Amino acid sequence: MLYELRDVIREHKGGKVLDLPHLEIEAGRIYALVGPNGAGKTTLLNILAFLDRPTAGEIYFQGAQINDSKQPLLSLRRRVVMVDQYPILFTGPVWKNVEFGLKVRGAARQERIDRVREVLALVGMAGFYDAEAERLSGGETKRVALAMALAVRPEVLLCDEPSANVDEENQEKIIQILDRMNREHNTSIIFSTHYLEQGRRLAHAGLVLKHGRLSERKDEDKYCL
Amino acid sequence: MDLLIDSIQSALLLLVAWDPELLSIIRVSLQVSGISTLVASLFGVPAGFFIAHGNFRGKRLLLTLLNTLLALPTVVIGLLVYAFISRRGIFGPLDLLYTQTAMIIGQVILVTPLVTSLVLAAISRIDSRYRKTALTLGANDTQVAFVILREARFGICAAVIAAFGRVIAEIGISMMLGGNAKGFTRTMTTAMALEYDKGEFVLAVALGLTLMTIAFGLNMLFHFFQGRIKTDVV
Repeated sequence: MLYELRDVIREHKGGKVLDLPHLEIEAGRIYALVGPNGAGKTTLLNILAFLDRPTAGEIYFQGAQINDSKQPLLSLRRRVVMVDQYPILFTGPVWKNVEFGLKVRGAARQERIDRVREVLALVGMAGFYDAEAERLSGGETKRVALAMALAVRPEVLLCDEPSANVDEENQEKIIQILDRMNREHNTSIIFSTHYLEQGRRLAHAGLVLKHGRLSERKDEDKYCL
Repeated sequence: MDLLIDSIQSALLLLVAWDPELLSIIRVSLQVSGISTLVASLFGVPAGFFIAHGNFRGKRLLLTLLNTLLALPTVVIGLLVYAFISRRGIFGPLDLLYTQTAMIIGQVILVTPLVTSLVLAAISRIDSRYRKTALTLGANDTQVAFVILREARFGICAAVIAAFGRVIAEIGISMMLGGNAKGFTRTMTTAMALEYDKGEFVLAVALGLTLMTIAFGLNMLFHFFQGRIKTDVV
């Protein structure tokens, strides 16, 4: 089991934004996290990415309970990467952004260069190696953000609305990249989406959130809100 | 009017001729202000960062204190430092009074709150997604801090330039703690005050022109960095 959440509650300004009595997520699969705005999708992804902690409850990752001490959290974050709904790139060239995760892990220079070229090619941004990050369009920014995550070869990739605010061409490319990462590297992927069609196409299983609660879990291609 | 025009002409001649006394005064000014700004930045940049990012009890009180210190008059700092380093003060045996070190101590006290406050504002403006992105990509606390400092670099540069502009133009601390000793602690502002007292306007005007030129250059730099901040935000 990749994740197991028991009685997880996340409160914000006194109100429950997430209330999950029990949730299990298996390794090596693609999950679509479906739900309307304010359903708690981003909150759940932040918790799964170890970027936020629940107000109450227990989280198990690969069978081990997560505690709040810093060093285990850092090592966990180096295995789980989240791509934001509105990603932001560091100022500077694209290659410097993509190599960031490798650099903080102390990867050798040549390894960084090779990996940056590899993932930029994978996301169809090879021609933007030296481009200034701030000059990229929304769709290009999303693909570079995805490349930044893929460069570190995470065990788990969490994507918050990966195809929101991008044109159809970029949406299709992003879907293909996620599918390929799962098939070729067995990367576990959890992505939130408003698009049921996208969820059906890409995911092996769906998690439906409503008002912070897991409405129902639908396997294969049965989704409903 | 003639007096002013004559003074400006003579002052320009002094500047063109690289008058040794004028150069000595400019050198002392730049040296003292440069070191003060550097030391204040070493304290103020980390302090601004930690206050911006820290969630601790008394943060609001600290911010109020910081804003109060921004309004601290130079003569008050001069008096305070004087009380510590004069012969009767607890640091009297160090014999610091009327030295460049004394001026630097006073100026550091003057501009550290300014650097802290401006860095705090610059860091607070940085998009929180930078931190989140760095964290999820596996950065540790130090690496995250460097990411944020890097993104705030133009704001930090602007803070340091503003601090330098503040110290090079101040007179109270330099006069009270430096003593205006020729060749040692005589700065542009103290020299200008002295020349004015003597009724000698030529050197005062030459120094004034130099100070204005430095201020103009600093403002150009300040606006360049402020412009970069705005461009980054857009």
